[in-house]
Amino acid sequence: MTEPIIVCRDVHKWYGHFEALRGVSMEVERGEVIVIFGPSGSGKSTFIRTINRLEEHQQGQIIVDGIELTYDVRNIAAVRSEIGMVFQQFNLFPHLSVLQNITLAPIWVRKWPKEKAEEVAFQLLRRVGIPEQARKYPGQLSGGQQQRVAIARALAMQPKIMLFDEPTSALDPEMIKEVLDVMIELATSGMTMLVITHEMGFARAVARRMFFFDEGLVVESGTPDEIFSTPKEERTKLFLSQILVH
Amino acid sequence: MWARQNLFGSWLNTLLTALSVGLVYLVARGSLPWLLSEAKWAVIGRNFGVIGWGRYPNDQAWRLGIGLALLLILGVFSWWAWRLPGQSPARRFVSVGWLVSPVILFLLLRGLTLPTPVTISNNLGYYLFRPEVLPLLEEDWRAIASLLIVGLLAGITWGLSPRRANRILAIVACLAILGLCLPLGLQAQQLGDQGLRVPRLVIMIPILGLGLLFGRSAGGSLVTLRAARCALLVAWPGTAAIVMVILTSFDVGVERVAPAEVLLKVEPPLWGGILLTLVLSTVSILFSFPIGVLLALGRRSRLPVVKAVSVLFIEIVRGVPLITILFMAQVMLPLFLPLEWTFDRVIRAMAGMTFFTAAYLAEIVRGGLQIVPHEQVEAARSLGLSELFVTGLVVLPQALRAVIPAIMGQFVSVFKDTSLVAIVGLLDLLGILQSIIKQREFLGTVREVYLFAGLFYFIISYGMSHASRRLEASLGVSDRF
Repeated sequence: MTEPIIVCRDVHKWYGHFEALRGVSMEVERGEVIVIFGPSGSGKSTFIRTINRLEEHQQGQIIVDGIELTYDVRNIAAVRSEIGMVFQQFNLFPHLSVLQNITLAPIWVRKWPKEKAEEVAFQLLRRVGIPEQARKYPGQLSGGQQQRVAIARALAMQPKIMLFDEPTSALDPEMIKEVLDVMIELATSGMTMLVITHEMGFARAVARRMFFFDEGLVVESGTPDEIFSTPKEERTKLFLSQILVH
Repeated sequence: MWARQNLFGSWLNTLLTALSVGLVYLVARGSLPWLLSEAKWAVIGRNFGVIGWGRYPNDQAWRLGIGLALLLILGVFSWWAWRLPGQSPARRFVSVGWLVSPVILFLLLRGLTLPTPVTISNNLGYYLFRPEVLPLLEEDWRAIASLLIVGLLAGITWGLSPRRANRILAIVACLAILGLCLPLGLQAQQLGDQGLRVPRLVIMIPILGLGLLFGRSAGGSLVTLRAARCALLVAWPGTAAIVMVILTSFDVGVERVAPAEVLLKVEPPLWGGILLTLVLSTVSILFSFPIGVLLALGRRSRLPVVKAVSVLFIEIVRGVPLITILFMAQVMLPLFLPLEWTFDRVIRAMAGMTFFTAAYLAEIVRGGLQIVPHEQVEAARSLGLSELFVTGLVVLPQALRAVIPAIMGQFVSVFKDTSLVAIVGLLDLLGILQSIIKQREFLGTVREVYLFAGLFYFIISYGMSHASRRLEASLGVSDRF
C-alpha cells in the first residue's frame, strides 16, 4: 500500500470569529476521484483551497505528496506547481491568448523552452477538443470553451492532483456536458481529482468516494452507491432529496 | 447630402450651424488679415538655431541632425516591423533599438570620451608601476593579499554552487586578478644574498592556487546553507571594492592621461530651445514610468517600511506644486547631497520633473492595479507562479492596459509642464522665446512668438494622444475585455 497523496488531519480555519472549517480529516490515495458536495457555505470550497494554500489553515495538518503545508514560502510555490486548479469562473488571463494562457506557467515556472511548451499546449487543446481556438483570446470564447482552456492550462504543468471548484456551475446548461466529458476522460486516465460538484451523474460515473460537507464538517462519506442508496445521516438524505428532486 | 443630414437636420442644428459660422467669421475677420499680412514671421526664421537648440554650439548642430535622423529611421523601421504578422525577429530588433536609443542619443548630444590603449595602459601603469611602490619589497603584500582573497572567494563560489554562471564568474575573477597583477608579477625579485632573481609570478600563481583550493573545500562544507549562497551576492562586489583599495590605496601620486575625446563635450547647461524641451520631457517620461510603477506596487506592499516610504513620497510630492518642486530641486537638492556630487541645473530640473511625474503615475497605476480582480491572482498562484511572476506577468499587464489613456494623458501634461522650467531660469523653448522678444531688434513680435510656441506644443501633444489611441487599438484593450 503506497502512502496517500493528500493527508488532512483535523484542519481548522477561522475567518475572524466565524469557523469555516471545524476539523476536517481526509486521506486521498493516488488516482482516486473524490467528489465533495454540500450546501453553499458548508466550507467545501474553503477546504479544497487549503490544499493548494490559496487559503491558510490555522490548526491541523495538511500533507501533500509528502510535503507539509506551512508558512515556508518555497514549499508553497513547489506544492502549487504540482496541483492544478479549475475555478468556477474560469479565471483565464484576459490579456493573453489561449495558447499563452496555457504556456505561461510551463515557460516561467518549469523553464521549458517555448517550442516544447507550445507543443504540449496543442496536445492538451486537442485533448479538450478545441485546437482551432489557440490564437483567440478568452473573451472571444464561449463559457464551455473557456472552462476547457482552463483545464488545459492546469494540465500543462503536468500536475499530480487536480482540484475542481464547481467547474460547471457558471455554465449555460448546453455547455455542461462538454466540460464534464473532458473531466470524465481525465478521471479514467488515472488523475487524482478532488471535485466539488452537484452533477450527480458525474459522481456516479467516476467518483470512488464522496464527501458530504455541512457547517465546516464532513458529515458523511462513502462510495457513490452507499451515499445514494443508503445514506446514514438525516442531513445527507435531506440535501440529496433537495438536489435530486427533479 | 452630408451637409443636410449633419448641419441642417433639425431646426436646432440649423441654428447651431448658423451660430458657428458667425463665430468663425468673427474670429477670422479679426485674425486673418494680421496672420497673412502684418505678422512678422521673420522673427522665427532668423532665430531658427537659437529656438531649435539654444546655446548648443552651432558647429556641433550636425549631431542633432544625426540624432533626429536616427530616430526617424528607427520610427519608420518600427512602423514597418509592426505590420509584419506574428512575432518576427524584426520586432525584437526594434524593441532593442528603442531601448538603447536613449543612451546613444545622450552620448551623441553630450559628447563622449573613450579610453584608448594609451590611456588604459597609462592608468594601469599608474596603479601598478608606481615608482615609489615598486622597489619596496614590503609593498608586494598588495598583490599577494589580493590574489589570496580573490582565490579564496572564487574557490568558495566554485564549491558552493554547481551553477555554470557562478563558475564562469569565479574563473573570470581569477583571470582578472591575475591580469591586474601581471605587470607586477613579471618584475623579477631578488631572493637571498646570492642574487637569485625569479619573476614574482612564480610566487603569485601558487598563492592564487592555494586560495582556490582552500576556498573550494570550505565552500564544499558550506553547501547546505542557503544563507551562504545569498551571502555570495554581497561578497563579490565587496571583495572587488576591497581588492581595488588594496591594490591602489586610492592615493594619487603620478599624473594620469585623460581619456581621448571622441565627440566634443557639450554639457547639458548649454542645451536649450526645442532640444531642451524634448530632452526634458523624454527623460522625465522614460524615468518616471518605472519609478511610478514601483511606487504603486510599493504602496500595495505588505512590507510596512516599503509601504510607508512609498505613501510618504507619493503624498508629499503630490501635495506640492510642480513649480515649488522645481525650485526645490534647484536650491535645496545640493543641501541634501555630499559636496562632491554636483549636478548641473538641467539635470536637477530633470530630477524634479521625474519625481513629480512618478508620484502622479503611481496613483494612476494603483488605480489600474485595483481593478484587476483577486481571482486573477489566485489563478496565477494556483499555477505555481511566484509572487514576482504573478505581479509581473498577470497583474501588471492588465493593470497598465486599463490605464493607458490616463498614463498618456499624464505624459502629455508632463510635456507641456516642461515649459515651467523657464521660470527657474532654464532656456527651454519658452525661455528662449521670452528672451528673444526682449531683444530690441524683435520688439513687438510677442504675438508671433507665442503663437509659434502654442502651435509647437499643440502639434506634439496632439501627436502623443493620437499615438495613445493607436497603442490602445493595437493592444486590443477594448475588444478583449
